Amino acid sequence: MNTTQPGRASTANHVPKSKPDARPMRFALVAGGIAALSALAAAIVLPPRPTPQQGSQVADPQPNGTSIQVQRPIKYVQLSPGQTAPPGATVIDAAAPTPLTVVVTLPPQAAAAPTPVVIKTTQSGRVVP
Amino acid sequence: MTLAPATEEGASSRSGSHGSRPDFSPIEPYSYSVTAMGGRLAIHLDAADRADEAERDSRRLVARIDRWASRITRHTETSDLARLNADPAAEVAVRPTLAAALQAGMVAAGTSEGFADVTLLDARLAAEGIDALATGSRLSEWQLIRRDRGAAVVRRPSGLRFDLGGVGKGWIADRALALLKSWPSAVVDADGDLAVRCSPGKCWEIAIEDPRTLGSNLAVLRLTAPPGGIHTSWGVATSGTSIHRWNVAGGASHHLIDPRTGRPAETDVVQATVIAESALRAEALAKAAVIAGSVEGFALLERARVRGAVLLTTRGDVQALPMTLSLLAA
Repeated sequence: MNTTQPGRASTANHVPKSKPDARPMRFALVAGGIAALSALAAAIVLPPRPTPQQGSQVADPQPNGTSIQVQRPIKYVQLSPGQTAPPGATVIDAAAPTPLTVVVTLPPQAAAAPTPVVIKTTQSGRVVP
Repeated sequence: MTLAPATEEGASSRSGSHGSRPDFSPIEPYSYSVTAMGGRLAIHLDAADRADEAERDSRRLVARIDRWASRITRHTETSDLARLNADPAAEVAVRPTLAAALQAGMVAAGTSEGFADVTLLDARLAAEGIDALATGSRLSEWQLIRRDRGAAVVRRPSGLRFDLGGVGKGWIADRALALLKSWPSAVVDADGDLAVRCSPGKCWEIAIEDPRTLGSNLAVLRLTAPPGGIHTSWGVATSGTSIHRWNVAGGASHHLIDPRTGRPAETDVVQATVIAESALRAEALAKAAVIAGSVEGFALLERARVRGAVLLTTRGDVQALPMTLSLLAA
């Protein structure tokens, strides 16, 4: 009796499938791996760069013409998890309050009228030609 | 030194004040003014009917100041400072006046967190286009070792030179005011840096010059001492980049050197006026505020617990620390 098991072709009838070419995939995997390693190496080797920032200001105009500003001098770099501070750097607690300086802008009219005051504080020196 | 006619113009009596401050009449001073230290030197005294005495004391004090200045200037080859700068030895003995002025330089550096720096002469000369190497701060490289009777020995690497400049003027103003013991209310004006003493119930009016317009002011201060209290001393000093400046190859330059770079400061502050307990502190902190820029400068002035500060910025804003408002004339 000649029986044929379902799903299994006889050896005589088997036609081998053509396999896809693995080389492009291998090339892509290798290139991706190199790129990932490069990014990882750069993240490890390069120190965190501080963002140059003078500070932020918030102005609050007052009825008498002055305006009050709150200045926040920013002189720190936020460390990400796993990063360490460079040697010599002062490390502060992330929960520490940001230093604030309140300043007042004097109204222009205070700077306008010359006054006959005898004593003056001035910059020293003169223009050198 | 050239003696100029005494200024007799009195300050105007103006009423009005900020808040609930007592309204004292401004002192109408006897004023004695000369040209010295490359600028203006003036003595202002609350003399009332003691004008002759005031003139005598002013003349004596100016002569004394002239002697001090002649020892600490870098502009004459015969000064004690010029000799120190020219000496190649690592240790140089200095006389009491220069020793005291150099000590003041150390105090100024500490007060200003290093911004007022007397070791920047080479950087200053380089900024003027004179053959010198621009270097940053060398504050940590020198020592002043005190000896008997006020003298001292300066120990520093060969080639480290000093420039007392504004520090010297603030120090001179304080030292001169201390000699005017018989005048309860007096002001010594060392080319814009003022040492001020006010007796109880009196008031000095002091204008902050606006460098943008000749003859006008940014603000007027009223420095007072409460009746029944003790004499109050003040220092008022102004520093800036808009007057003492010059042109060199590459553009305009000025005299305020940033010790972090050894070059003229790049800053958003045109002029800073500081009110403090002494002229030396006020001068050092005004310079620091200009060099540091407005944001960091105000923070520094607050840390230094100044009595007031007014800054003119490159944007044309006139900004002040809040406590300054109680010192301003209406």
